[in-house]
Amino acid sequence: MVDLGLLSLRLALIGGLYAVLAAIYGAVARRPAYARSARQAAYAVHALVAVAALVLWRALVTRDFSLEYVASYASSTLSLPYRIAALWGGQAGSLLFWALILTTMSTVVHLQNRERNAALMPYVTATLMAIAAFFLGLLVFMTSPFERLPVPAAEGADLNPLLQNYWMLIHPPALYLGYVGCSVPFAFAIAALATGRLGDVWIRTTRRWTLFAWFFLTLGNMLGARWAYEELGWGGYWAWDPVENAAFMPWLSCTAFLHSVMIQEKKNMLKMWNMVLVLLTFCLTIFGTFLTRSGVVSSVHSFTQSGLGPFFVAFLLSVIAVVAGLVVWRRPLLRGENEIDSFLSREAAFLFNNLLLVGIAFATFWGTVFPVISEAVRGIKITVGPPFFNKVNAPLGLALLFMTGVGPVIAWRRASARNLRRSFAVPLGVGFATGAAIFASGWRNYYAVVCFSLAVFVLATIFMEFYRGTRARQALMGEPAPRALANLVGKNRRRYGGYVIHVGVVMVFVGVAASSAFRLEEQETIRKGDVVQVGAFTLTYQDIHFTEDAHYSSMLAEIAVAKNGAPVGTLFPEKRFYKKQQQPTTEVALRSTLAEDLYLVLGSYDDATGLMTMIVFVNPLVNWLWIGGLVMVLGTVIVMSPTAAEQRALAAALAVEERGLEAALR
Amino acid sequence: MKNATQTEIEEALTCQCGCGLTVHSCNHVQCPSGIPLKQEIATQLGEGKTRAEVLTYFATKYGEKILSAPTTTGFNLVAWVTPFAAVLAAGAVIVVVSRRWRRPPSAPPDSRPAPIDDARRARLEAELDRFDA
Repeated sequence: MVDLGLLSLRLALIGGLYAVLAAIYGAVARRPAYARSARQAAYAVHALVAVAALVLWRALVTRDFSLEYVASYASSTLSLPYRIAALWGGQAGSLLFWALILTTMSTVVHLQNRERNAALMPYVTATLMAIAAFFLGLLVFMTSPFERLPVPAAEGADLNPLLQNYWMLIHPPALYLGYVGCSVPFAFAIAALATGRLGDVWIRTTRRWTLFAWFFLTLGNMLGARWAYEELGWGGYWAWDPVENAAFMPWLSCTAFLHSVMIQEKKNMLKMWNMVLVLLTFCLTIFGTFLTRSGVVSSVHSFTQSGLGPFFVAFLLSVIAVVAGLVVWRRPLLRGENEIDSFLSREAAFLFNNLLLVGIAFATFWGTVFPVISEAVRGIKITVGPPFFNKVNAPLGLALLFMTGVGPVIAWRRASARNLRRSFAVPLGVGFATGAAIFASGWRNYYAVVCFSLAVFVLATIFMEFYRGTRARQALMGEPAPRALANLVGKNRRRYGGYVIHVGVVMVFVGVAASSAFRLEEQETIRKGDVVQVGAFTLTYQDIHFTEDAHYSSMLAEIAVAKNGAPVGTLFPEKRFYKKQQQPTTEVALRSTLAEDLYLVLGSYDDATGLMTMIVFVNPLVNWLWIGGLVMVLGTVIVMSPTAAEQRALAAALAVEERGLEAALR
Repeated sequence: MKNATQTEIEEALTCQCGCGLTVHSCNHVQCPSGIPLKQEIATQLGEGKTRAEVLTYFATKYGEKILSAPTTTGFNLVAWVTPFAAVLAAGAVIVVVSRRWRRPPSAPPDSRPAPIDDARRARLEAELDRFDA
């Protein structure tokens, strides 16, 4: 069985390399038969990678400890869901998982474009297969998941206990789908550059793929934050760890692209800039993978030092070289009809939105790599931790929040005084009023005051859009309000779906600002019967319970919770001790409401003295962070759902392109 | 109950246990780094030192890498200044470039309808359909 996996990977590598060569030859020499053959090879590569993944999954599920990978990341007591998830729990397996997702997407892209984009597709095939070949090369030559142990292990070392959390089942796949999803727009961008077909088609063809990637990047980041919140037990959800940054940066540049591409579609502007953003997003996904696997920067997420770093650097540099060459070569074709009439216009607003998104991405990148720069320049290792990122990104983030309110409603070309008054007078009014009210009530955390005021401003602009649109439909079509609203959204999914996403963004900002500015925190060492008071909460330590099974032992403190004197329930913060890895984990106890989270951590317990250390956090409004994430995801679904008009626009653009292609070939 | 200065200093120092968090955030059981550091901060504050003095003490004793953010002196200023400088510079570029993109105000607006391509025609028809629906 294992040999089958090994063989599949080797054949897949050969197939991938063949597909790259055949596709490029087919395109350059105008021999469609070779392009078709490359496509078949891409299907075969997918099938072979799938076989390899199935073999590894089978080994994990059947606990085949003769394999080094299985012995390192599973154990006899590890439950089935985590044995399945162990495929992406270690270095080699996660590279295989990456290759599996990439080749699956390649197959979907090829099936979608069987009958269209004949000129672009060979280069798309070549690009996707070149990326796949890189990962397959690592799997075949550097870090095989099918390495056998000289003597089969009697027992596995087990999956890292921090990964034994249900988010492990969906957070990495979501993030990988996002990461790898960025490869598809990248492949089309390369194809557009290579063929010089830099018109509307590649942008329209990849729009849904970009949204798909963005959807999963958003989801992946959110789930990762939630995981940290529940599993790491320090009361927070985002520590600006290099690997968190690595997932955040492509999200930012992808977000910038999704915005600026609208300017290209509407005004044929910013062609060059959009191209740069697509390419940058892909490079950032590779950079992120490099960060996790190189050991260049220390991180809680780092896979053990693996020696793969130089390969990722080489790959990244060759990608950048190819991309830069293509862009310089095609520069004349990338000139758009750039025109800006006024800084008070939607075009300008989107430019500044892009500036801020890319600015935050740069600040994050800068902070992540600065320790390396410092060491190179001064020879002194320094740490760039959360305080740096919070201080630098907070003002940029607030400016971005402001633009979230301005961008979608300011007029194209030049906003008249009337347009500005109509769109912004009321929202600015309520925004300022909110700020003044909060300030008057005695809060002096300026960031939070500004953030809440801006949040109200943005929500007001969005509310007015929905209100006016609905009223207009009611008046024009005579529809009752609920149907008018449904039709308004249904017939303009991009626009109103976008607003829904923005509402989610506002919720995220509010959740982050409130929970970082107004968090309460208390650490107490107490005995049974003792009472701790934190904010409105009264916590009584009632008892401690011990449980044990083959996999881990556990202690749970029983804490009675009262709010403002009234009992609201019992919480059980837990400490586990995983036996195979000899490692403790905290399982926090949460009482989550829309107003605040009560977050209890069992710090330690001393049997001899009966003393228990408990850490208590009260995180106000933090739930809105997660709800906001869900709303963003919902909004993306609305934006992605196809409309007939959009299909027609793509079909028309394709028809023009195909006609041109036929003429060229004739 | 800790005082605010203690918490501030804990936030300004990085735990050395490998968790990547600040001393304040690290909650490892019997953390070999975080717990002694917290005690050391308390001792230093107990000697009547100010926040800045305590941080200097730690940077001298353990090396600069214990500080959770770069200092604001010397080469480390580059860390703080670069992101804002980059955003401002890029903003300036946007302003300059888009001024060049501005159409000359004297040119009369083109009143002839622009020739329409198929993609746009399809979109126009789709939008008209939608309007009729």
